[in-house]
Formats: sequence, structure tokens, C-alpha cells
Amino acid sequence: MSILWLSIGFGFVTASVLALASVGLSLQFGVTNYVNFAYGSFLTLGAYFAWTTLTGGHLPLWLAIVIGALGVGVVGVLSDRIVFRSFTRSGFPLFYLLIVSFGLSLILGNVVQGVWGPSPQFFAVVSQFPLHIGPFLLTPAQLVIIGVAGVSMVGVHLLLTRTRLGKAMRAMSDNPALAQVSGIDINRVTTWAWFISGTLAGLAGIALAISTASFEPAFGENFLFIIFAAVIVGGIGQPYGAMLGAVLIGMVTEVSAAFIDPAYSTDLAFVVLIIMLLLRPQGLIPAQGKA
Amino acid sequence: MSAVVFYLATIVNYFFIYNILAWGLNIQFGYAGILDFTYITFMAVGAYVAGVTSLGPPQPGTGVVYILGWHLPFPIPILLGGLAAAALGLVVGLLAINRLRSDYLAIVTLSVGIILYSLVGNLTNLFDGFDGLVGVPEPLNGQVHLGVNTYTIFYMAVTGAVMVLLWFVAQRLLRSPLGRTMRAIREDVDVAEAFGKNTFRIRLWAMVIGCFYAGVGGALLVGFVGAFSPDGWSTLETFIIWAILLIGGRGNNWGSVLGSFLVVAVLSEATRYLPAIPNNAFLEPALRNMVIGAGLIVVLRFRPQGLLPERKANFSEVRTAAPGLEASHAD
Amino acid sequence: MPTDTPILEVDAIVRHFGGLQAVDGCSFAIQKGMLAALIGPNGAGKTTLVNLVAGALPLHGGRVLFEGTDISGWPPHRIAARGLVRTFQISREWAQLTVLENLLVAAPGQQGEQLWNALLRPSVGRQQDRKLVARALDTLDTFGLYAMRNEYAVTLSGGQKRLLELARAVMSQPKMLLLDEPMAGVNPALTEQLAAHIESLRQGGITFLLVEHNLEFVEQSCDHVVVMALGRTLATGVMAELRTNPEVVGAYLGGDVVERAAG
Repeated sequence: MSILWLSIGFGFVTASVLALASVGLSLQFGVTNYVNFAYGSFLTLGAYFAWTTLTGGHLPLWLAIVIGALGVGVVGVLSDRIVFRSFTRSGFPLFYLLIVSFGLSLILGNVVQGVWGPSPQFFAVVSQFPLHIGPFLLTPAQLVIIGVAGVSMVGVHLLLTRTRLGKAMRAMSDNPALAQVSGIDINRVTTWAWFISGTLAGLAGIALAISTASFEPAFGENFLFIIFAAVIVGGIGQPYGAMLGAVLIGMVTEVSAAFIDPAYSTDLAFVVLIIMLLLRPQGLIPAQGKA
Repeated sequence: MSAVVFYLATIVNYFFIYNILAWGLNIQFGYAGILDFTYITFMAVGAYVAGVTSLGPPQPGTGVVYILGWHLPFPIPILLGGLAAAALGLVVGLLAINRLRSDYLAIVTLSVGIILYSLVGNLTNLFDGFDGLVGVPEPLNGQVHLGVNTYTIFYMAVTGAVMVLLWFVAQRLLRSPLGRTMRAIREDVDVAEAFGKNTFRIRLWAMVIGCFYAGVGGALLVGFVGAFSPDGWSTLETFIIWAILLIGGRGNNWGSVLGSFLVVAVLSEATRYLPAIPNNAFLEPALRNMVIGAGLIVVLRFRPQGLLPERKANFSEVRTAAPGLEASHAD
Repeated sequence: MPTDTPILEVDAIVRHFGGLQAVDGCSFAIQKGMLAALIGPNGAGKTTLVNLVAGALPLHGGRVLFEGTDISGWPPHRIAARGLVRTFQISREWAQLTVLENLLVAAPGQQGEQLWNALLRPSVGRQQDRKLVARALDTLDTFGLYAMRNEYAVTLSGGQKRLLELARAVMSQPKMLLLDEPMAGVNPALTEQLAAHIESLRQGGITFLLVEHNLEFVEQSCDHVVVMALGRTLATGVMAELRTNPEVVGAYLGGDVVERAAG
């Protein structure tokens, strides 16, 4: 029984990382209506930015994390401005953007490889002794990750429900045509969506890098499919669905590792995805306006 | 046998194989509009199945473990490779085609690829895990007994023959009413449905046939190189085929030939002109990949139809079918 | 099918989107040979109805019968293959196919579309194409599109696309055509052309149900009108009668629209 509780605890950690990543992807998808296949590279960049600031600049960990995350936010905005907008403005069909984002992931992944090299790196985080929190056994780092994710989710919720920007984002997601004619500044909202998406991706990447033993240039892209699983299971384009999907997938992968060979626990997440696609392709919480 | 000839023969072999791979993706995407982001997985399946059916049983003590090991002669392993890839394509197609958005198809195909990669790597009894297969016998070399250099030239005839055959099939499909209907489905699925076309079945065919091509390409590759491991199975490889297709011109099989010529030429020759950068052996391939990625984005933006756009259908039947109309509308 | 069976029967069909009842128990019947119109204010659910009948949207209740056969829940391609063909509100030509190809694809029963034939017996498709090309060229000539036959459909003007939409539908040899606002955004001269085409097609035996806002055209040409409002059938009959029906008048704001059609 205690193993079950332990793995549920780990499930919270994975769910936290996934939640950060999935919500970021969902928000951007909601506003722009195409999937960013370079999103995995955003996670990678977040980890490397933070790591470089930490080890090279000798800044305190919290500051490195902030810089890392915001740095990816900037990358997100630049990706939109330099690459994607050039296509959306000229009326290209959506599938071109998928291919373009695919190409961007190649570029970003190789930039990381070129600049930092292919060898694995790791975050040297002090005091990794796990603490007993009720039935769970978690390190301080993992607790921080859960905390950061929780705070971010609340932040996103407040953003979407209390701010004009958030409401504009929801409007653009639900009904782009209506949003356009009701005077929303599409460009401004899009830019903010990319910034927030990038920042959340950066946070997720840092969290993932901290909670795993090491990270290397492809680790973000390899995680991307699990993010997709969470997003699709939860309901693509719907941030609350993404949160729910993150919890579900996070729990499935960790709890299953207690019972089956851990190498296959992520494969199990994939099985959940397939079942979802067969039974209810719109996800648990379907988004409006995304057919 | 000069080194130059050997080098050229090697490049030509890759060129032929890339043509086959590009045509397969063209059938999926250029004809029918299917977004397959994991084309490489089907190629890998073809390579693996051809490998384990042409290899003999695994030898104890070598550390190489795999299934089957039937030691079948050419061309059976290549055919099996193609069929295995087609079968996987059928499964993926049944799951993914007809879902609501093309993003879903892209995501699912990508996810399938990553999952299979992980399974193959972890189930070491299957295809020797992450180490991969080695010592795959060269097709027909048991009969002809050629040295390495001469064999490379001989292999051009093998890949060339398969390529020509698959060329005819792809062209015939394109020019047929089925090819025309596939293109209509590509343009607008709902309208094709509204005109009585079973778009699910037709797209499934395109997916399966394209995967067959991928499998054959992979099988020819493993026969040539003699080895295959998950290293050769990255999204980069899928991306290269996409780049070939889009730069060359989707929907146009000659365009794919041009595209694969350009990409193969760039891949092998471009780094020759870069200055050697000390301490950064990995910088070269990284730069090259960045150039490919950036190059594709630029081409997509400024010449999305590719270098050789789709050729307009030419109906010579027009004159024989309606001579009266032709006469009354003599332009 | 016995002669008194309606060619199309819509029986209490229902469709909701979330909490919104788009179609709320709508019923009517169309007899073979009619040139019928489906009218109603915006938001009445007309396009949704077309989508439901054509199988593009699943029914949440009720039945649809075509020639006496229950086609409820059938996928769109199966319904179309039966001879019930629909067009779209916005012209949806196959852009990167030529005008001629657009018609060829629409033609049913092309055996060259079977995989076996396409790959192994190309002559089957080619022979059938010869006949289809002749018919397609004839159709294009009728609609005045012959000159554009080898141009990509995307290059056509807006009016030409509307004509192509109809020509393509005709090519599919339908028993009944569901046209969703065929005159939308079309200039008066072209409207007359389209109306003439529709009438002559009706003479040729095709039943029509048009979704229309152009009430002049409806009054002049249509012999049966179904009025929809709030997802239900409000009234059916001839336009002249309906103009004086107080419910119908009330459904259109202030009766303006109905008056304009009369005057």
C-alpha cells in the first residue's frame, strides 16, 4: 500500500511538470489554432538557459529559473514574429504551420546541440534528502515543483477569468471571427499568448530537468509526446482540460510504474491516448470552436 | 576501381533510395493530403523486417539478439519489409485517419513513432534494442560474390530496378481516376464525402501504399549499409524526406527526384566547404541540420508549390470525346 | 417507391449544440419533382438542417427518409451515392484541380477509382473517362464554363464558381439536390441564369430543395415553400399564401422582408 502512496506522490510531480507544459501548449493553440511542434525545444531551451545562468553566471537558483523561463517566453515571441506570423499573415493553410513548426524544432534542437554540445548535463541541487509529507516521500525540489505548478495554474486561471487579456484569449479561442470584429487586438493577444506559452514551457523544462537525473539536447522533444497525450486526453485547446489531462496522465505513468516495468510506463500513457482517441476524440473537456 | 567511382556509386544508391522514400510520402501527402510526421518509423520497420528475414538465426556469443532470422533470399526480405510497413500503416491509419483535425493525425503519427522507437529500444529481444542489427547480408551477394566496391555499383542496378518499378506504379496511380479523387480529397475532404466518395477508405489506401514505399526504401537501405539501429531513426530523417518532397514539389513525382538530388547533394557536399572548427565535431552536423530546417522554411514561405509544381492534367481525350464542342469553341 | 411516397421526408429531427437547440423537432416532406424552398430568418437552423439531412452532422433525434428508405445516421458519402446531393453555402471548389477534373471527380460509378483497377487495369478508368469527359464537357458548355475547362478551379471568378458548384452537382446525376443558398452574393444577371438552369434541370427530373433568402426568386420559381423558425417548421405551402400567414410574417422582423418580396 505504501508503494501506491509513494507513486501517487510522484504522480503529483509528473502531473505538475505536465500541467505547466500542457497549459502552455493549450493556451497558444487556443489563440493561434495550430499546434507548435517546436514546443518540445522550448522546454529544452528553458532547462539550458537556467542551467547556464546557474553554472556560468553563478546566480541563485530561483533567479536562474526566472531568467530561464522568461528567456523561453522571449523565444516564443520571436518564433511567432520571425517565423510563424510571416505565414499566417499571408494566408497559408494551417498544415503549412505544422510543417514549419516541425522545421523550427529541428533548428532549435540543433542550436542547443551546437552551443552546448550533446553530452548530458545536470542540475546540481543541494539537499536532495526526501521529506515525509503524509504518506508521500518527496524531495524539497519536487515540493517546489508542485508548488510552482500549483501557483502557475492559479495564475493562469486568474489570467483567463479576471484580466482583459485572458478574456480576449478565451474569445479568440472560442470564436476567432467574432473576436476579430469585436475590436480585440489580435496581434497583441497573439504575442502575449506566445510569451506565456514560452514561459510556461521554460518552467516545465526546468522542472523536468531538475526532477530527472540529467538532461540532454533532445530531452524536451522526447517529452513532447507525453504533453500531447495530456493535451488531447484533456481536450485540445482547453487549458482546464490540459490541467485535467496532466493530472490523469501524470498519475497513470507514475502509479503504473509501481506495478509494471517502469520502462513501459510512458507507453501506458500512450495507450490511454489511443483509447481516448477511439472513444472520445474531443477529449474530456472539449473546447468550443475547435472542431 | 577508383575511389571517385565508388563514392559516386554510393551517392547514386542513396539518391535512388531517397526517390523511393519521397514518392511514398508524396502518395500520402502530395496525392491525398495525409500529414504523416513519422514516415521514418515505417522505413525503420521495413529495414528491421528485411534485416531479420535476411539474416540467419542469431549466433550465441555475439551479443546480438533478434527475432526470426529466416535467411531468406532476395527479393523476399524487401517485399516483407514493404508489407510489414504497410501493415503498420494500416493500423495507424485505422486509428488516426478521419479524426477531426489534421493536427490530430500529425500528433498521433508522431506519437506512434516515438512509442515504437521506445519499444524497439527496450524490447531487446526484438531487434537487438538500441544497438541494432549488424551484419545484414547484402542482397544477391551470396550468388555474385563481389568485392565491396564492385558490389556498390551492382547494387545500383538493384535499387535502380526497384525504383523504376515503383515509379511506374506511382505515376499510374496519379494519372488514374483514383489519383484524381485522392487529390480532390486533399483539396476538400467534406466536399468529396458529399459527392459519394468513401474518403476514409481512399485515404487509408494512400497511407498504406505510401508506407509500403517507405518499407521498401528501408529494406533497400539496410541491404546496402548492412546495419540499422535506432540512431538512424530520428525525426531528422522524416524531416529530410519532407524537405525533399516540399522543395521538389508535392504532387509531382519528378519534383521528388529533383528534391532528393538536391538534398543528397547538399548533405554530402555542403560540409566540404565549411571551415574546420576545432573542438566541435558535433557542430558540423548541427549546422547542416539547421541549414536544412531554415532552408525548408524559406522555400515554404516563398515558393510553397516547390521547384516543380504539380503538372496540370492533360486530357487528350478531349478532342476525341467532343469534336462538336471543340469545333464550336475553336479559340 | 410508390408514387405517393415523398422523395424526402424529415421526421421530427433534433440537433443541439451544447445547450442550444439548433433544430428542435423539425418535420416536412418534399414530393418528387418539386422545386421547393426552405426559408426562414437567420438562426432558424436551415443550414444545420441541410447538414443533418446530408449526413454531415449526426442526428440527435428523429429520422430522415429518402425515397422511403431511412437514411438516418448514414455517412455523407453513402447518402450522396443514393442520389441525394448537397452543395455548400460558400463555393467549395477543389482548388488545385482543373474545372474539368472537378466535374470528373463528381461523377459517380467511375470504376477506375477502385484500387485494383487503378493499379493493374488502367484501361478501365481510361475508357470510362472518355465517356465522362464527353458528358462533363457538355455540362460545362451548358453552364458557360467550357472555356475554363482546363483552368484550375481556384482561378474562376466568384460567379463562375457558383456555376461550377451547380455544374458539379449536376454531374453527379442526382435524384434530388439540396442547394444551400445558391444565389448568395450573386449578381442579378447571374441569378437569372442560375434560376433558368435550375428550372431546366427540374424539367429533366431532378427534385430541388433550396435554402434561400432571395424571396423574389422563391415566389417566382418555387412551387412549395417550407418556413423554418427557431429550429422548427413554422408553416408550409405556396409563397402567396404564406405571405399572409401572420406567424410567418411575425417570424421575419416586422414583416419587412415579406413586404419587399411582394412589392
